[in-house]
Amino acid sequence: MTKSNLKKEIVPVLFLTFIVCISVIFLYATNSVTEEYIEDAKNDAVNAMLNEQFTEMDDYSYDENLDFYTVFLNDEIVGYAFIAVANGYGGPIELIVALESNFLQDDEVIIHGISVVSHSETPGLGEKIVEAAFSDQFNGINVDDVALTKDGGKIDAISGATISSSAVVDAVFNVVKEKAEIIRENFDLNTEEET
Amino acid sequence: MAEIIENLKNGIIKSNPVLILLLGLCPTLAVSTSIDNAFGMTAAVLFVLVSSNIIVSLIRNYTPQRVRIPVFIVIIATLVTIVDLTMQAFLPSLSKSLGIFIPLIVVNCIILGRAEAFASKNKVPNAIMDAVGMGIGFGIAITIISFLRQIFGTGNLAVFGNEIFNVPGLSENPMPIFILPMGAFLVISLLLATLRYSGVIKSG
Repeated sequence: MTKSNLKKEIVPVLFLTFIVCISVIFLYATNSVTEEYIEDAKNDAVNAMLNEQFTEMDDYSYDENLDFYTVFLNDEIVGYAFIAVANGYGGPIELIVALESNFLQDDEVIIHGISVVSHSETPGLGEKIVEAAFSDQFNGINVDDVALTKDGGKIDAISGATISSSAVVDAVFNVVKEKAEIIRENFDLNTEEET
Repeated sequence: MAEIIENLKNGIIKSNPVLILLLGLCPTLAVSTSIDNAFGMTAAVLFVLVSSNIIVSLIRNYTPQRVRIPVFIVIIATLVTIVDLTMQAFLPSLSKSLGIFIPLIVVNCIILGRAEAFASKNKVPNAIMDAVGMGIGFGIAITIISFLRQIFGTGNLAVFGNEIFNVPGLSENPMPIFILPMGAFLVISLLLATLRYSGVIKSG
């Protein structure tokens, strides 16, 4: 390989490497500035989401291993909440499901309420899952009644959006069954450790 | 001076990226469901377009021909990531509604197209004016489309949560088809047909 040929091969590579290095520096700088704010924005979003369910709350804690939120008011537990993901018509529907704290003592699990965090359902049809007319049906009912009316439950489907409605119902039912058990076990362990 | 103004006007009218060149249709069709999205997308595209044109124009005499496209892509990708992170940090709700279309600006053909066809061959001031013109041209087109889709699809016009007006009759019975993906195709094709028929834009 002659000298000029070598130069022709190497220069473009070095130039591209140089550009990539500069770009990495810029990205590192941007990331270190915005990281904190992005974290804050996520926290605010969670807070707003929990606040919608528990209007009287002042703090929450998040269990990373078991993936649920414990909501407090004046250091007393007022309830639990967790995220459910339903398989909607237009993609995943993210929901937050809140439970009253008294299910730990009672056998039945009462739902405090649900709300939709994000979705991509059809506007005018499936989108109605975010409206109170649909989501308020979940307020204060037993988890065993979470099913569409045609299947013997207490939730009226949105007309024209049966897939969206049943996706939400299924997701809520499954996640509550699963998490209620987990939280119960976890709570028993905690109390046993204390005594 | 006249040349610089010509560069600016070129993007807005004569070769409007969306209405004439039909470039960047993916974000135009996908996020034009509300005026808010249109403004957010325009701001992001304008920033990336202007910055990438400036950088590409600055390094145009040093960039080896053989690696120019990878170099442009790295520059554009860096700028887009900066926009994405900044939006997530300071405008989380807008970032959520624009979603994947912010990262996808990387492959938006308007930006790479202007870097390759204009900025890599012209001086910095001209490249800036070209980018501003193209950005505004994109903004005008996406705003018109999202205005029409929002009006027909929801029956009222709201910008950043402030309701501006309601169309009587339409707000009670909106036509959600205009908000659906299909509505985007309907609106853009009718818009282009109207503009061509009335002679506002001439087909090349």
